[in-house]
Amino acid sequence: MHTSVDSSDGDLARAVAARQHDDAGAAENELYRRFAPRVRLYGLRHLRDEDAALDLVQQVMLVTIEKLRSGSVREVDQIASFVLGVSRTMVKDQKRLEWRREKLRETFMLPDIVAAPAGDAALDVDRLELCLGRLAERERIVVLLTFYAERTAGDVAKELGIKEGNVRVIRHRAVERLRTCMTSAEATPS
Amino acid sequence: MTACQSPISDGTLLDYWARDLSDDDETTRVEEHLFACGDCSARLHEMASLGAGLTTLVRQGRVSGIVSRALLNRMQRDGLHVRMYSLTPGETVPCSVFPGDDLVVTALRADFSAVESVSMSVMGPGDSPFSRIENVPLSKPDDELFWAMPAAVVRQMPSMRLELTLVSADATRAELGRYVLEHSASTPPA
Repeated sequence: MHTSVDSSDGDLARAVAARQHDDAGAAENELYRRFAPRVRLYGLRHLRDEDAALDLVQQVMLVTIEKLRSGSVREVDQIASFVLGVSRTMVKDQKRLEWRREKLRETFMLPDIVAAPAGDAALDVDRLELCLGRLAERERIVVLLTFYAERTAGDVAKELGIKEGNVRVIRHRAVERLRTCMTSAEATPS
Repeated sequence: MTACQSPISDGTLLDYWARDLSDDDETTRVEEHLFACGDCSARLHEMASLGAGLTTLVRQGRVSGIVSRALLNRMQRDGLHVRMYSLTPGETVPCSVFPGDDLVVTALRADFSAVESVSMSVMGPGDSPFSRIENVPLSKPDDELFWAMPAAVVRQMPSMRLELTLVSADATRAELGRYVLEHSASTPPA
């Protein structure tokens, strides 16, 4: 089987599981490239910590590859669900995670695929500062409370004395405006 | 990989990230989709990157405008050095910025009991407009409004007198307070 970015998740998982000499390495790399960012986002969403999220990526992907190699994943076509399940388990038990990390690293060191997925380093914060300054005052406060202070819409509504539904509308509009501004040629910092 | 046939809406992705989905079942449904779908996962990544960028800006003290008490508390908890000046209506306060300051915050006290939102104008020397902020929601029952400026920006300002006026943002434009900041330019290190 030839593995490529066009292969389905199931095809990649099958190639890893079959350990076909030519394809397994490429399939592992493609699986990692595909799933590591998703695991990182899951980790950020649940752990709210970049380092912890990157640790989670390492562990989840190592376990996934190991389980595929050993034939322990029964439904390879459902590999996404499997990765999600592993992520959930690991987030729920941080202490166990630490133990497993060391154990797995000792057993399965995969130097060609354990590089951290791309983070947010590429974001142009100078441009973002300019774009943030262009938001209406309440939009700016709502996005900062949401993303920086990690407040839910209900929390923000209480904080600002406005309705929760309004907070969601303002938040959605603000994010759209930031996205548009970030890709606009006008928003180039001087 | 094929394009997503049933993309998750931006609003739902935002609610997921902000922990605002209505129940655990919906969260599970979103996570299962995200792990199986590169397109939606990439869109969430873009949103999360914006959030990370906003956090970076705040942690660097690059925030201008009105901030809520919750934001201010979070900034101080994160170790930002906030120089705070507190003014009551009619008061004139000398102010400056000092080495190590990240953010300069002016707390404007007033009776906000009869208003939902306020606007603020700041006039510089010769009645020149310095800043204007419209329609800011008020955190009830606070009797203070916090106006933030990056210390890096204030360091560039010459000595000057700033006159601040708070009015209600409704049609009456009722005046809530006038305040004066006598800013002294910071002395560059010898």
